[in-house]
Amino acid sequence: MTTMTDAPASTEVRRGRLRLSGVRKVLGGKEVVSAVDLETEPGEFLTLLGPSGCGKTTTLNMIAGHLAADGGLIEVDGRDITTVPPHRRSMGMVFQSYALFPHLTIADNVAFGLRMRKVGAAERRRRVADMLELVGLDGMAGRHPRQLSGGQQQRAALARALVIQPDLLLLDEPFSNLDAQLRVRLRDEVAALQRRIGTTAILVTHDQEEALAVSDRIAVMAGGVIHQLDRPQEIYLRPATDFVAQFIGEVNALDGTALGGGACEIAGRTVAATPAGEPPAKGAAVRVYVRPEVVRVGHDGDGLRGTVRETRFLGSRIRCVVATPAGEVTAALPYDAAVPQEGEEVTCTWRPSDASLAARA
Amino acid sequence: MTRLTRLLGAAFATLVGLFLIAPVAVTVASSLTATSYVTFPPQGLTLRWYGEVLAKPEFLSSFALSAGVALAAAALSAVVGLAGGLAIHRHRFPGRAALEAVLSSAFAVPTIVLGIGLLQWFAQMGLASSPFTLLLAHLVLTVPYAVRLVLAGLSGLDRSAEKAAAGLGAPPFLVFWHVTLPAVRGALIGGAFFAFITSFDDLTVALFVVTTDLQTLPVRIFNYMQYDYDPTVTAIGTLMVLFAVIAVVVIERFVGVAKLFGADTQERS
Repeated sequence: MTTMTDAPASTEVRRGRLRLSGVRKVLGGKEVVSAVDLETEPGEFLTLLGPSGCGKTTTLNMIAGHLAADGGLIEVDGRDITTVPPHRRSMGMVFQSYALFPHLTIADNVAFGLRMRKVGAAERRRRVADMLELVGLDGMAGRHPRQLSGGQQQRAALARALVIQPDLLLLDEPFSNLDAQLRVRLRDEVAALQRRIGTTAILVTHDQEEALAVSDRIAVMAGGVIHQLDRPQEIYLRPATDFVAQFIGEVNALDGTALGGGACEIAGRTVAATPAGEPPAKGAAVRVYVRPEVVRVGHDGDGLRGTVRETRFLGSRIRCVVATPAGEVTAALPYDAAVPQEGEEVTCTWRPSDASLAARA
Repeated sequence: MTRLTRLLGAAFATLVGLFLIAPVAVTVASSLTATSYVTFPPQGLTLRWYGEVLAKPEFLSSFALSAGVALAAAALSAVVGLAGGLAIHRHRFPGRAALEAVLSSAFAVPTIVLGIGLLQWFAQMGLASSPFTLLLAHLVLTVPYAVRLVLAGLSGLDRSAEKAAAGLGAPPFLVFWHVTLPAVRGALIGGAFFAFITSFDDLTVALFVVTTDLQTLPVRIFNYMQYDYDPTVTAIGTLMVLFAVIAVVVIERFVGVAKLFGADTQERS
């Protein structure tokens, strides 16, 4: 992609503040989205992340207007659009299947939204050409979708969505049909492009790595509700619920008893973490979530004592499993760490800010 | 070995082609005979029998009736096929499965059974024989096919494309016009083409539905041949072949005949 000289949104007032309040959807007698609240900043890249059936796609379709909400309010820049039909909302959508119009050339595909908006031919041509250049498809204007590779088709779909300068860019699993390498490259390109243009983007995905890599904030969804809405680092290091902790990456979940604040007692040892939400009352049953990457294995400090069961070289990290009275603790150690021997007595520690603590059901 | 199989294949293809073409060639050739009876190879060379055809007004009116009904059958099959296909593909309504079953089993009903049934039914409803009843009878033959083609066309359409178009600002009618319709365009033209040929060509059903004043061209030829077997019939046959050839050429020019039958095999990657 080349640099763009006249970024459309950079000179305008930033818009694209989406707000959902208590949005619900019932499908087939089952509530698939229950009272979802969220608000984006203009220009933000927000991801709805969750397993299939968690309600993320349904939520996106309600934002786009393809599904009517059964309750709640959807607003863009203060305007209530809950009952506005899709063609009167200003949203560019990109789909997993690309969804290009097969009988139109790439240029005509991209021009479609401008045609619907009755943009004059000269301006239309200019904007289509600019957009195709921006997504790296100059020279493909006259081709038909089936003559393009999957990655090129998705770039064309992105151009088609962005050329109308939408209030929101909606991305529905846009990288899932691409092979692994291309997926990573295209997702990084899309994220870079979105930041440059400044259009608010909502991405739906089940791929946690993708969500962590591109998002300003992530809403982790399950069972029709948002479990946690936060920056990627927060979501990763300090999961608020058991579901978030287990869904994203690998985690050590350690059960203990609250001692007030972020402190708790696990298997007779006192450890500390950051409470997710209100700190649990003293004596309450709590669970501490610690990612393997933040666990340090040594001989000093307050932490869980245990015996090294195995160490394994994994290429990018060294994996070390420590058997403690609270269960096994896995640590992913960097190369420069002192690697303990199997059978060695060690203490597992972490910075309190790198782990979270939540009430246990 | 491969050369031998290729040679055998070519020979087989040629024979099949000859077998298909031969009756038409015989008909065309014998329409030029100077004798007053049909014979092959033709003896002498004359266009007299074509003059005979044009001099018989009943043949011309039968041609007009056949062509008119066939055109109407083509247009209505396309419209009803589109509506029916969309309804079956998009909506869940009571009787949907039954409707689909009826539409797909319609092919299995012998046309003679259909003719007898329609004769009974029209009589009981008090519908006098007219171009309209003939059209209804032909629609029974052609609509199931049109619906099938439309359903096949719709199954190749990604519903997301319709969502994308709506999101880009297209109101429902324009979504239909710009996205849905192009996806079934080939199916509609194919369905209409099939309907036209079926209706224009039909003898069995028409025999039961027509009267002495109202005869389609095939019925007229059939009746004519029972009394006179002169080369007039082969001349008409030749004209009908010519008519079909022109139709195919016109369609080929605007759409491509291969496309009608789903030979659009360019891959989508």
